[in-house]
Amino acid sequence: MAQNVVTPTAVKKVRIMPPMLRGFLWAGIGFLLLNSLTASIRPDVGHPFFTEVSVTMGWIGGVIGWLLGVGAYEGMILPLFGVTPRIQPATDWRKYFAFATEHKVVGMQYLTSSGCAFILAGAVAMAMRIELASSTLYFFAYSDRYLSAVGIHGTIMMFAVATVALVGGLGNYMVPLMIGAKTTVFPRLSGLGQWLIPAGVLTVALSPLLGYWTTGWRGYEPLGSQDASGIIFYYLGVAALTMSSLIVSLNLVATIVFNRAPGVTWARLPMYVWGVLTVSILNLIWLPEIQMAFVLRLLDRLVPLNLYNAMGQPLSDLELFWLFGHPEVYIVVVPAFALWNEIIPVMAQKTLFARSWAVIGLIFVMMLSGLVWAHHMFTNMRNSEMFPFSFFTEMISIPTGFAFMAAIGTLWKSRYRLTTPGLLILMSMFNFLHGGISGVYLADPPVNLQVHDTMFVVAHFHYTIIGGMVFTWIAAMYYWLPKITGRMFSEFWGKLLSIWIFVAFNATFSTMFLVGLEGMNRWVPTYPPYLHPLNLAVSIGAWALGTGFVLHAVHIVWAWRKGPKAPDNPWGGRTLEWQTSSPPPDHNFESEPEVVGSFYVYGEHAEPVLAHPPAAPETT
Amino acid sequence: MDFAIFGIVWVIISALAEWGLHRIGSNTMYFLLSNQGAIALHAFNFLTTMLTPVFLFVIWYLVWTAIRYHADSPESRPSRVQFNKNGLFTGIWITGSIALNLLFWLHPTAADLEQMFAAQLPSVNKNDLIVDVTARQWEWIFSYPQYHLTQTVNANGEDELVIPVHKKVEFRLRSYDPFHTYDVEAGVIHSFWVPAFGIKEDVIPGETRYEYIVATRTASYQTNPEVRVQCAEVCGPGHPWMESPLRIVTASQFKSWIAKQQKLQAAGS
Repeated sequence: MAQNVVTPTAVKKVRIMPPMLRGFLWAGIGFLLLNSLTASIRPDVGHPFFTEVSVTMGWIGGVIGWLLGVGAYEGMILPLFGVTPRIQPATDWRKYFAFATEHKVVGMQYLTSSGCAFILAGAVAMAMRIELASSTLYFFAYSDRYLSAVGIHGTIMMFAVATVALVGGLGNYMVPLMIGAKTTVFPRLSGLGQWLIPAGVLTVALSPLLGYWTTGWRGYEPLGSQDASGIIFYYLGVAALTMSSLIVSLNLVATIVFNRAPGVTWARLPMYVWGVLTVSILNLIWLPEIQMAFVLRLLDRLVPLNLYNAMGQPLSDLELFWLFGHPEVYIVVVPAFALWNEIIPVMAQKTLFARSWAVIGLIFVMMLSGLVWAHHMFTNMRNSEMFPFSFFTEMISIPTGFAFMAAIGTLWKSRYRLTTPGLLILMSMFNFLHGGISGVYLADPPVNLQVHDTMFVVAHFHYTIIGGMVFTWIAAMYYWLPKITGRMFSEFWGKLLSIWIFVAFNATFSTMFLVGLEGMNRWVPTYPPYLHPLNLAVSIGAWALGTGFVLHAVHIVWAWRKGPKAPDNPWGGRTLEWQTSSPPPDHNFESEPEVVGSFYVYGEHAEPVLAHPPAAPETT
Repeated sequence: MDFAIFGIVWVIISALAEWGLHRIGSNTMYFLLSNQGAIALHAFNFLTTMLTPVFLFVIWYLVWTAIRYHADSPESRPSRVQFNKNGLFTGIWITGSIALNLLFWLHPTAADLEQMFAAQLPSVNKNDLIVDVTARQWEWIFSYPQYHLTQTVNANGEDELVIPVHKKVEFRLRSYDPFHTYDVEAGVIHSFWVPAFGIKEDVIPGETRYEYIVATRTASYQTNPEVRVQCAEVCGPGHPWMESPLRIVTASQFKSWIAKQQKLQAAGS
């Protein structure tokens, strides 16, 4: 109580250093504090000040210091003890560079973190393709550097981009708007989750400073336990990144369950919200599992425990990894399926076809995704285990197909506006189809035993993840750009760059299928010379693709800063986010919306969505 | 009208694609020369035959949408035709995808696995040539216990794998390091892969795995670079170089090679 009495005098402006700078400083203090503490209580005399155990503890201190420094101290800790912080959160542009709880700010922060991580890990991929343009080692000094690059690329792309951009990013921004809510239920969780992303990305990206690690993003044991100490920061970075997605998912599930506006029933819930809901439930189920698997790996190394070497059971590590690892790829792509059927009806101004089947598809993919994981282990599991896992792997294509079925039915005899987002959605379906069809081959064990661990598999999952998720992410960025920024992009440049990445993407990864079939294994910076011509072609395509992605980013940032003013509802969308001004006001809606009609019915049966439409005429 | 044009073009491009596939059918997986490779190639071509019309249906539909259904202006006007369900289409789609996937599980998956498992039964593997394969970081070591050969090497002293054609070979795969100075159990997961065999089997520390192969023609790394032993599972910085040439020779050539290796080993010991 006493603290509250003090606050009126403390309202006068208190200036602190920029929160991110303070975060770095506090992270350094936290690291040194816990590292020193650990070093001081170690019983063996004469050990070095920095050991694997002490930097692990130091890292925990560093992350806590970072989170508190960027603003969790004022945003979470002080209120917890009933203290009103003397420092008020910024209201200008500075709010984007500090701990925030406003869901639109958090969404923007997440999108920025994810976008930066995408460019960073993409640059690492460019370096890999420079190396693979030749059959000999010439770019990286030794293969352990190359393999570290593979691991950093995969880990950051998976845990800081593919898992994050459509959930922590667009999910945080759009879900409350789409269900007519003012805010999320646990805004501090999302706010905290965002700042775990830079911490995790930096941890993984800088891990080679402690020594190169060679396992790739999967971190298989027993190889991981004999790698240099850098692998510890891979374990810890993954812990931070998965924790980010986990707490965000908790917030989003709670928000979707409890914060829907009147009339936003389950039967009316927007497709993208269904996508975020299913993927968040997948996150809640499987992320704790992989975190425990990584804790076991860390303990296996630090204690050490001999869990996964010849004395233990190496395969159990692989099983623990893939038990999460396959749901993960659906965590990546399920929101993309949902976005296809979110954007297509708007671009076509046509009623969504077979909506319930599209939702059933998302839910069944969510459930089946936990039953297919061992198809990553056909080459090392016992024969009898191939039968059930090839069965479920083949069956999961059925609910996946429902997303295509709904899209195809919606497009039939439509008047489809081939805007940049509309075009990118068709491209994403085209690309994901390649990934899905090649997945049928991989589900068949005799074919799998040949192409497993080859570039065929690499091409397959890049088709599903870049083709499915990244293309859809860019489509969604263009689709919602006028909503988020109130500005419009250039259709000319949007379409040109989309065709650019489409051609470059397909040139790169369709050739990679052939490289794999011709006998090129994964995780190699060098290869037999007969594979050189195809690899050079892949590299050229990859550089073109990387350039295209950067240009898209430049175009989007340009449109956000300098683009022409956009109307409130440029596409004629019926979902709730389009029923408010662009960019949305602080509390999203002038008055709480009451929904009385379906979001996806167009034409003469279309009823008004809102019981009390806003006074301003809808612009198109 | 739309239905007819779309359908006819779909049938035509599917037929053309099937014809093209038929022409290149024996090379779709490049170069395979084992009984297991024949199973994989058959499965691959069967799946391609069945999936080509499905694949082309969606691809052609996306192209068709962009050509036929694109709006001539960006203004927001409802599509003229509106519907939200079509029982016939959803019915065909759902039963079709279930039927196709059940088919794939029965054939090629179940049928081929039955063949593979049958080839591994002890009753049919009484007179195999046994090759002990030891994977260490980073080397493939081959020994032929039936001929008392502990490590076969070529004239340069590099590990060499030579097997006779048309003869069942049983590879026994283990991962440990016989040359490690203090811990021979030190080992990681490797994967024994000859691209031309059409199969790979992971080599797990602490376990013994088996792979049964009949090579169907003579070949060597010189005749086709897919005839090589290649580690396919990342096993540390030496992984890219963990490969070994392979020769598949006639029975008489194999016999004389064995004799040479025995002489070499006797001279060395």
